[in-house]
This record gives sequence, structure tokens and C-alpha cells, in this order.
Amino acid sequence: MSEPDKKPLARSPIAPALPVRVVDGWEVSAARSAAPLTLTDVTPLAKVSVKASARGPAETTIGVRFGRARRIDAGDLVVGSGPGEWLVIGGIGSAPAMTEHWRATTAGAGELVTVLDLTHGRAMLRLTGAHAADALSTICAIDLRDSVTPDGTAFRSSMAALVTDVVRDDVGGVRSYLLHCERSSGQYLFDAVLQAGAAFGVEVCGLTT
Amino acid sequence: MMLLPCPWCGPRNVTEFAYRGENIARPDPNTADKATWRDYLYYRSNRAGWEREGWFHRAGCRQFFSIERNRTTNETRGVGTPDGAGDAAHSGDSR
Ligand SMILES: [Zn+2]
Repeated sequence: MSEPDKKPLARSPIAPALPVRVVDGWEVSAARSAAPLTLTDVTPLAKVSVKASARGPAETTIGVRFGRARRIDAGDLVVGSGPGEWLVIGGIGSAPAMTEHWRATTAGAGELVTVLDLTHGRAMLRLTGAHAADALSTICAIDLRDSVTPDGTAFRSSMAALVTDVVRDDVGGVRSYLLHCERSSGQYLFDAVLQAGAAFGVEVCGLTT
Repeated sequence: MMLLPCPWCGPRNVTEFAYRGENIARPDPNTADKATWRDYLYYRSNRAGWEREGWFHRAGCRQFFSIERNRTTNETRGVGTPDGAGDAAHSGDSR
């Protein structure tokens, strides 16, 4: 009896909307939606944590301060998620290269910097649409108006009573938020956001690459 | 809802924070007698009115800071700066 193909298959903690397909070793939803408000499980994206001291020399090297998010040349999104704490988000499967890159980049920063691949330990969602802020406002106390939290804003707060990293990362001029939490809370946050978006016609859309 | 001004994040719902209690200077464990150590561990002034306290922003920046809070009215003032400058009791032990 021949051995079947035993390539490991990674799964998000969030049950995918059917049908499913496999992208770069991840099981993702192939569902598509053209609704004005969509929720996508983007957990397969690479997530790398960079930690150093608050307001230390590494911040100058990394070039993104707490509370802001910026896309760098490679297309990765560098999020200043806390004082001396960054989350770098990249394409599926790129975590090893990203980890390597940020270890090398911060090696000469003059302080201890810890770089860690969190991809499989966290969950991440993307809510996109003109009414994304209206939906999130029902489960989050932060002022989501443009004047307070414009595109490129990052903060950590309570969302549906869950500690969540929020990044305003508009897509093609359309309001969009990345929501990042512990893996074990992924399905809960997904359901909470779906419920919050129901009044605005939210639909689930699979990850497109 | 009570708002607490975090030096890093700005005003946030107090439910995002963990309360560390009033700031008490830690005695030197090598020289403190048992009574002093017991007072440090268990005794609190619990005054009505202004008290300097330690808080931890657990659902936000995950930083410790000190702030003065009026325990009768919940008004706040004198929040420490993000780097703790001018706030000697800030980082070590604010129990
Ligand atoms: Zn804070």
C-alpha cells in the first residue's frame, strides 16, 4: 500500500465557509461575496512579533511608532501594536523569511530584540466596507471616526470583551480593519463581528491571494 | 463607566485595566523587620480622597503606570508620563 501524500495541512481556528480550497498548505474558504461589508478570515497570513524596550533604540531601527501601521517595501505591514512591540503581517508562508529579515534588521539596534513567528498561535480577521466602523462601534468603545483613528492607526483594546489588536488598513480607498487575537478566541471574535455586522449586511468572503 | 487616562493610550474604559493598589515604597528585605514587612504586604491606608495608585493596562498597551485618583469621586490627575519620568514609585512595585 503506497503512502498517501502526507503534506501537513494548516487550519485556522475559525471554521471555513464552504467550499474550501488549499492555498500554500492552508485550508481556506473559497466562498466569495460582493456584499458592501465583508468579513474574511485572514489567519493564514504570516504574523511575526518583534519585541524590544518601550521607546528604545529598536524603535528607530524599525521606524514605526506605537499606534501606527505602515506598509514597507516588501508589502508587509508593520504594526506598532504596543510600546516596544510590533506585529509584522506578511503573505502566506513568508514567516520564516520575515523572521530572518527582522532578526537581521534589528541585530544592530543596540538592545535585546525578540523576533518570534506567531502565525499559528493567533487568529486574524479583516472587516472591509464603508460601514465597517459602524459595525465595530457596537462592540468596541474606541472612537473609530477618521478624525481620531484614520487609515494607518493601530491600537489594542477590548472588542466584544476580548483583547484585540485593531489596525485600520484601508483597501483601495475602502475602509478596512484587521482584527488580531489569540488563536483560541478566533471563532468567538469572528462570530461576534458577524453579529455586529448583521445590521449592515455583512457576508463572509474567503481569503483571496 | 469610569474613564482612566492611560499615559500611552489615552482615556480608556476602566475595565481594560488591572488595579495594583496604592503606591507603597518597598522596604529593604535585608533590613526590614517582620512588622514592617507585614505592613508592606497587607496594610493599606484606604483613605477617602486622593491617593496615588498603580494600574496595569492589561487590554491595551500592557504597561504599568501611576496615577492619582480621588477615591470618593473617581476624578483622576497627575498621570505618570509614558517613560515614568518624575514618578519615582512608578515602575518597581506599586503595591
Ligand atoms: Zn495603555
